Order: sequence, then C-alpha cells, then structure tokens
Amino acid sequence: MLYRWLRDLHLYLGLFISPFILLFAASVLYLNHGKLLPGVSPAARTFRGLRVPGGFDRVKGAEAVEHAKTILTQVGVEGEIGFLRYVSKDRHLILPVTKAGSETTVDVDLDARTATVTYRAMNLWESLAYLHKMPGPHNAAIRGNWIGTRVWRVFADGTVYLLLFISISGVYLWWAIKAERRIGLVLLGGGAVTFVGLIYAIVR
Amino acid sequence: MPSFARTLEVWNRRLHYYLGLYFLLFLWLFSLTGLMLNHQQWFADLYDRHEVSYDPDIETPAGTTLAEQTRDVMRQLNLRGEVDWPASQPAGHIDFNVARPNGAAQVRVDLNARHAYVKEFENGTLHAFQIFHTFSGTRFNQPATNRDWIVTSLWVFAMDALAIGLIVMVVGSYYMWWRLKKRKALGLAALAVGLIACGSFVAGWV
Repeated sequence: MLYRWLRDLHLYLGLFISPFILLFAASVLYLNHGKLLPGVSPAARTFRGLRVPGGFDRVKGAEAVEHAKTILTQVGVEGEIGFLRYVSKDRHLILPVTKAGSETTVDVDLDARTATVTYRAMNLWESLAYLHKMPGPHNAAIRGNWIGTRVWRVFADGTVYLLLFISISGVYLWWAIKAERRIGLVLLGGGAVTFVGLIYAIVR
Repeated sequence: MPSFARTLEVWNRRLHYYLGLYFLLFLWLFSLTGLMLNHQQWFADLYDRHEVSYDPDIETPAGTTLAEQTRDVMRQLNLRGEVDWPASQPAGHIDFNVARPNGAAQVRVDLNARHAYVKEFENGTLHAFQIFHTFSGTRFNQPATNRDWIVTSLWVFAMDALAIGLIVMVVGSYYMWWRLKKRKALGLAALAVGLIACGSFVAGWV
C-alpha cells in the first residue's frame, strides 16, 4: 500500500516539478560557462511631469521601495526593484527593475520630476539564470517587493521540498527492487566518496 | 514488445535510479543550500567570521607573470583557493584576494620591501556550506572572471554533471511515464500545470 502511494506520488509530483528541475539544471550550465558580452546600449525614454513622493533622502528599505513603486506605475515599468540608490549630490534616484526577459533602469531626477528609463531585453539563458538566482540572499530586507518574485519564491521553495520528497521516496522505491540493491549500493557509495572527496579537497 | 524497446525500457529505468543514487548527496547539498540562499532570515549570525591579520616577510616571488608570482606568494603563505585580482595593480605591489567556501584572504604584497600584509577570514560551517552552491570561480555577467584553481574546476565539473544527470533523469522519466497507459491522463495534467506555471515565469508574464 505504502509502496503504491509513494510510487504514484513520486510520478505525479515529479512530473509537476520537472519543468522547474529542467530550468534550474539548464541554467547551471549557463551560470558556470556563459559569458554575457556587452551589447548595444539600450534605448532610453524620458518621462516628464511625474508625481514624485518626498523623503527619498531619509526613507530606507521597504518604505523607500513603496515610495519608488508610485514612480514605476507612472512610467509603466513592472518587476522586482533590485536596490535603490539615492544620489544626494544631484538628487537623483536610480533603481534597476528586473523580471525574466527584461532589465530596466529608472533614473529619476527628483527636482525636475523627470525619469529616464532604459530597457534591455534578456535572452532566454539570462532569463533562466535570473530565475535560478531569485530571490537569493542579496538585499533580503527589500526582496520580494514585486508579486512575481513572491510567487516565484513559493515555486522555488516548493521545488526544493518536492525534490527532497522525490529523492527520499526514490531511495525507498529502489530499495524495494531486491535485484538492484547491490549495484545501487555501489553507486550510492561511489557518489558519497566522490562527494566527500571533493568537499575535503576544497576545504582542507 | 520488440527486444530493442524492451532493452531501452529496462536501461532507461536503471539509468534513472543509478543516476539518482550516485548524485543523491550532491542533490541534497544544492537543494538545502538553495533554500538557505532564499531564506537568509532563518539564520542568525550566518556571516560571522573569525578574522586574523599578519604581515610576514616573504622572498621575492618567482615567476614572470602576475599569476605565477601570485601562486608563489600563496605557496609561501600557505594559502589555497580561487584567486581574484583587482582591475589594476599599484606599482611595486601584488594585490589579490583568495577564496574558498570555508575562508578567504586579502593579500597585499610590497615587492620592494619583500613584505606581505594578510587579512585572513574563516567562515562558519553553515556559511561555508552555503557557499558551495555558488562556488564556480566565474560570473556570467563579468566576462573577465576566470577559474584559476583546479579544485574549483573539479567542483564545477561536479555541478555540470549533476545538472546533466538531472536533465537525463527528467527526460527518461517522461518516457517511463508515457509507457504507463493507466497514468497518462493524470500525469499529463500534472505536467501541464507545471509547464504552464514554469513557462509563465520564463516568458515574463508573472
């Protein structure tokens, strides 16, 4: 009974997360070996007469992001705000806004109430690498400031939890096949030796 | 069933769990560290590290290139890891950083005085564990970076092998599922939901 339940769950949950596994696996190859060469300068567009909330010189973190979002709405940009850089010298606010497929930089002149928006399209590999790294450890205090990132976080976490379930249930399903135990144990042991050997070579 | 199809089915199934068993520990490492990277708030003091500074005398580094001289300085100081040089070097100096998951060092060498200034850091166990996820020696958005430590290349090879192994397992699992007549409909529904969800993000709709 347990065997049949686990076999079915292994199959259906595995099929469900398989596109995510392919995404994470394929993007590893790009992250390890890809080189993003500088392309043509992205086109810039200027927006004028913006309603700019005050206080960028003192607000920080999530509050600053909420202020910045009111500007993004006016310039028609959506995505995850990477960080906010307030340049006190000329009172500019610079923020990169990213989602899979596009990288936009918004440069706001707070006094002139104008914004220069530059847009760069990502290729498919970049998009996969971007999703692989999201939400990630950087700027954790403001990460997930876009709904898309918050939903993606659920799927990224879900992929990990389901992978753990699938790998553990897979071990159980393999162990049930008596004829495959010996060779399986050899491979499990070989993998463990490789793993421990590599870790040791790096940290010793 | 023709014998070729039968052989393919048997070996496809075997390959699925042989690869899974061989890569099990690698898969768990990258899964757990991926979770850590996305949930830094779960770990207090993750980035606390032990720091030691010292400034030993050294011999004039052997070699003619910056890389050779750096390697010789590292040998003298007993440092190992992936090297990273600043964009430019001050005259008469060799400056570099060297890193591996469990630690790092900033080294400044005064060639005329034959003196090194070293700041060495030792990462905590959890932090070191997390770094294995990203320890590749390069960044795709910084084309100038290159791997220069053989051990990093071996680790990257393991990462690549795991990635390719997972792709093979997934493709093989599609074949195994497709051969199960009674589970096609529900399997198709599960796969379609996954494809639509994942595809929506890749296409930038979400």
